[in-house]
Amino acid sequence: MGRLYLIQLDGRVYSCRCCRSHLAQCDELVSKSFHCRHGKAYLFNTVVNVSLGPQEDRLMTTGKHTVADICCNSCQQVVGWKYESAYEKSQKYKEGKFILERAKMIDGDGGNFFLETHEVDSDAENE
Amino acid sequence: MGGDSDVGQPPLKRQKLSKPSHKTPCEGSRTGVAATGSAALMARSICSNDGETVGSHGQIRKVEFVRIIEQALFSLGYQQAGAVLEEESGIRLQSPAVQQFREDILAGRWDECVATLSEIGVLEESTYKAALFLVLQQKFLESLEASNTTAALETLRSEISPLGVSTSKVHQLASFIVCFPEDLLAKAQWKGAGQESRQSLLEELQQLLPPSIMVPERRLEHLIEVALQVQREACVYHNTLDHVLSLYSDHRCSRDQIPTRTLQVLDEHDDEVWFLQFSHDGYYLASSSKDCTAIIWEVVEGDSLKVKYKFTGHSKPVSFVAWSPDDTMLLTCGNEEVVKLWDISTGQCKYTYDKPNSCFTSCAWFPDGKRFVSGGGDKCIYMWDLEGHELEAWKGARMPRINDLAITTDGSHMVSICDHKNIRIYNLEEKTERVIEEEKPITSLSVSKNGRYLLVNLVSQEIHLWDISAATKDLPKKYRGHKQGRYVIRSCFGGTDYAFIVSGSEDSQVYIWHRWNGELLDVLSGHSGTVNSVSWNPVNPHMFASASDDHTIRIWGLSNRPMPKKHDEKPGSSNGFDHLVNGGTRDLLENLRPFNSDTD
Repeated sequence: MGRLYLIQLDGRVYSCRCCRSHLAQCDELVSKSFHCRHGKAYLFNTVVNVSLGPQEDRLMTTGKHTVADICCNSCQQVVGWKYESAYEKSQKYKEGKFILERAKMIDGDGGNFFLETHEVDSDAENE
Repeated sequence: MGGDSDVGQPPLKRQKLSKPSHKTPCEGSRTGVAATGSAALMARSICSNDGETVGSHGQIRKVEFVRIIEQALFSLGYQQAGAVLEEESGIRLQSPAVQQFREDILAGRWDECVATLSEIGVLEESTYKAALFLVLQQKFLESLEASNTTAALETLRSEISPLGVSTSKVHQLASFIVCFPEDLLAKAQWKGAGQESRQSLLEELQQLLPPSIMVPERRLEHLIEVALQVQREACVYHNTLDHVLSLYSDHRCSRDQIPTRTLQVLDEHDDEVWFLQFSHDGYYLASSSKDCTAIIWEVVEGDSLKVKYKFTGHSKPVSFVAWSPDDTMLLTCGNEEVVKLWDISTGQCKYTYDKPNSCFTSCAWFPDGKRFVSGGGDKCIYMWDLEGHELEAWKGARMPRINDLAITTDGSHMVSICDHKNIRIYNLEEKTERVIEEEKPITSLSVSKNGRYLLVNLVSQEIHLWDISAATKDLPKKYRGHKQGRYVIRSCFGGTDYAFIVSGSEDSQVYIWHRWNGELLDVLSGHSGTVNSVSWNPVNPHMFASASDDHTIRIWGLSNRPMPKKHDEKPGSSNGFDHLVNGGTRDLLENLRPFNSDTD
């Protein structure tokens, strides 16, 4: 519906598995140590070509957070969520950042490279 | 300006102190007009208080007021009326000395002029000398023209040079002595002795001398015109082709001046309509759709549209069209596909412009109508001619992805949206570039007709209006209220004076803002799908079109049939205008809060 406005990113990009529209750049990756119901998830600073759903409070392994689901603009699939606010002080660093589920993404290269993670302990998020 | 020369009356040295010996009979002549003048400062009753000021705010000096009225009377040719007013009010338009001065100048009695000049009033040294110079210059030139060289030389030596004003000019005058009288006129840029040059001398002197001595010409008309201009600008819905505004009430258009009613629904397209644009002459509308076609509509009888051509041939949705400056040709751009050139007179496709990996997104014509540029995702801008030849290409490692492209109507700038967030304004003549960085991605670009402004829609649901020529530090005007997030939504300028900004929206409505104060004027419903694009008819300020995902195009017009707008034939009739009597405009202005603190 309408002429979709899709942003094209440069460099190594993670794309939506369904429709191949670009979602995030590798440079924006913050951490790979997240989990969701479907498996691994990555934390990014910024993502593109997604729309925000309604906000809700969810209880995760690290505590209560206010999150909003994000879905791909092109194929309407839910690809992850955005942290709107965190109730615990130690989790505040996540605010404003985005989670993309590994299962919904295609890596630009296929290769994995090791990224220095923060002093983030195992963050398994219960969905 | 004649008037009888009352030699008996003592010259009024300082006009402001004049106290009339008898009351000015103002009531009799003024009650006939209910609201005098349209300037918010002019009052209903003039004689509200005796003495210095008139007007309900006490801002107008009575003496000045009477004087400019006298001047207006004289300039209209009502010599007697002017003289009577002078006598009755005891306030003269100009002192007898000035009067004498004027007459002397027009008659060419230069020596008397010089003498009077010193009596005219309190003048600054430099002004006095400059005025004297002008008078003597005229005297000099006239003597030269009459071939009276000795007199001229005499003037130059004994009168002009001692002044010490502008020695270079004096030298120039001296050089005129040796040239022939015929050349004199050309060299001195002088009209020759006679009324015309003396009149222009008078005007020059008028500008030089302080206004309290010689009231500038047509002062009253000027004041009224300024006031009308203020009203016009304060009128948010102002959208008429009429230039004459009534003086009887403060001007204010009602909402009826903006097209708010759907006049026609065009549903020829089989799929979403993504783009549309009126031709420059307003006779045609081109629309393009996801059904891979473009349709040309003809505007018949001023307000209804019929299909003229249907252009097929694209294999992808057509996302962009561009009319040639003379409206004889149309370019259509497939969505990351090829560009096709169509001839409007025959309806045939003249050429298809292709490149390997062509993913053109937009194109723009040069004002000569013989070349155009196209840009796309392949990071190149190509310049083409009408026969299919590539004339130039801008490419390279540093070229960004082009999302939208436009060329200003005077051909001076090429504007492109690069890498989603940058507006690149490239000066084609000077080959310099200016980049405006937006914080959020830009979906579409639109350039104003005079080429000075550009409009961009951002995914963050804002529309920004930028001045192309101004320094980058200025903040843009911003318009909000519509919905946008996933699709390319376009907006455009509209109305007379391009005072409105119109945009589509993802909530199926059309939004109209007032360009200068940012106020959202109207939200029009009717479409049942995202409104992708809007275009305002360049020659009809009361018609615009919108394209939507519901497969239709809507033509919008005024909600009431336009009424004849001849103010002078129908005094006092409403004509769709609200009546604002004195003070209304002031309230209106006070409610228009400053907008983004930048001025245009």
